Amino acid sequence: MKTNFIKTVGKIALILVPAITLSMNASAHDPKMHAKKAEKADCSKMDHSKMDMKDPVAVAMMKKCMKQSKSSMEKMDHSKMKEMDHSKMKGMDHSKMKGMDHSKMEKKENKKANSDDHQNH
Amino acid sequence: MKALKILLILLLLGGASAATVMYSGIVNVAADEPHSDIVYWLLEETREASIKKSAQHIKVPDLESPELLLMGGADYEYMCSSCHLKPGLEESDMSIGLYPQPPNLSISHETHQHGTDEELARQNFWVIKHGIKASGMPAWGKTHSDERIWAMVAFIKRLPTLTPEQYQVLTAID
Ligand code: HEC
Repeated sequence: MKTNFIKTVGKIALILVPAITLSMNASAHDPKMHAKKAEKADCSKMDHSKMDMKDPVAVAMMKKCMKQSKSSMEKMDHSKMKEMDHSKMKGMDHSKMKGMDHSKMEKKENKKANSDDHQNH
Repeated sequence: MKALKILLILLLLGGASAATVMYSGIVNVAADEPHSDIVYWLLEETREASIKKSAQHIKVPDLESPELLLMGGADYEYMCSSCHLKPGLEESDMSIGLYPQPPNLSISHETHQHGTDEELARQNFWVIKHGIKASGMPAWGKTHSDERIWAMVAFIKRLPTLTPEQYQVLTAID
């Protein structure tokens, strides 16, 4: 009897402790933190000239930003954009993207460096 | 016969003193009251040994892909950063109030990290999947696929190297 009771109390504690801590997730006191949970990527601060395109982090950032700009382009109504002059789009300077190999970006995985994890350190 | 009797008495005594300690209420379960050094050491050694043993046969996949970082980044920001912090966020209610304290996963722990990258990866995978009892660390495996958990392992591996700007881009929603 008694051991059963102890087991039950133990189980209740095991469930309650994580449940309560988890449910308190939203109670951080800096109100800025609950202002907006889902933010768009801020791609404006990316400096392409400093990015090493062999680094998975850099490639992942490019992908995120490309996907994001694509999805916002899709929402535009292109039929209404008369006389759009592409030659004036000079925001992106590809010559500054060192080591960027576009042929590699299509692939699902970036296989580099996994044979030797330590070279990153 | 005599030895058996003594053993029985000892058992009974042990049980009785354990019950006394339990029901007297002298054990303080408050999270703002740290364990004594000896209790802390006992719990920590037990936890480390358990994780090491349970994780030893887990096969670690390739963790170097950008897709994994993106998948794991979004999940980390949403589910983990309130406890385990992120670049630019050095403390939160959770990181201060929980005991045991959630480790800050956005800074590198090279000084006290034991084992290879691979060992660390499989141990992190196991902890994320199964959680840690009575600590506030949930078992995410009940609600998330192994693939998503490996993605978080991959993300955590790079997390200490990320600037706040890199973190923001990687973890933003699409
Ligand atoms: C409610 C707070 C909380 C949340 C949310 C949380 N954790 Fe934890 N986590 C903890 C605590 C507390 C520990 C330490 C447990 C201990 O030391 O016994 C921990 C431990 C860990 C560890 C082991 C670290 C080490 O070096 O020993 C990893 C890895 C981890 N958490 C990853 C995650 C990931 C990934 C997520 C999101 C999916 C997550 N955690 C969400 C509280 C949390």
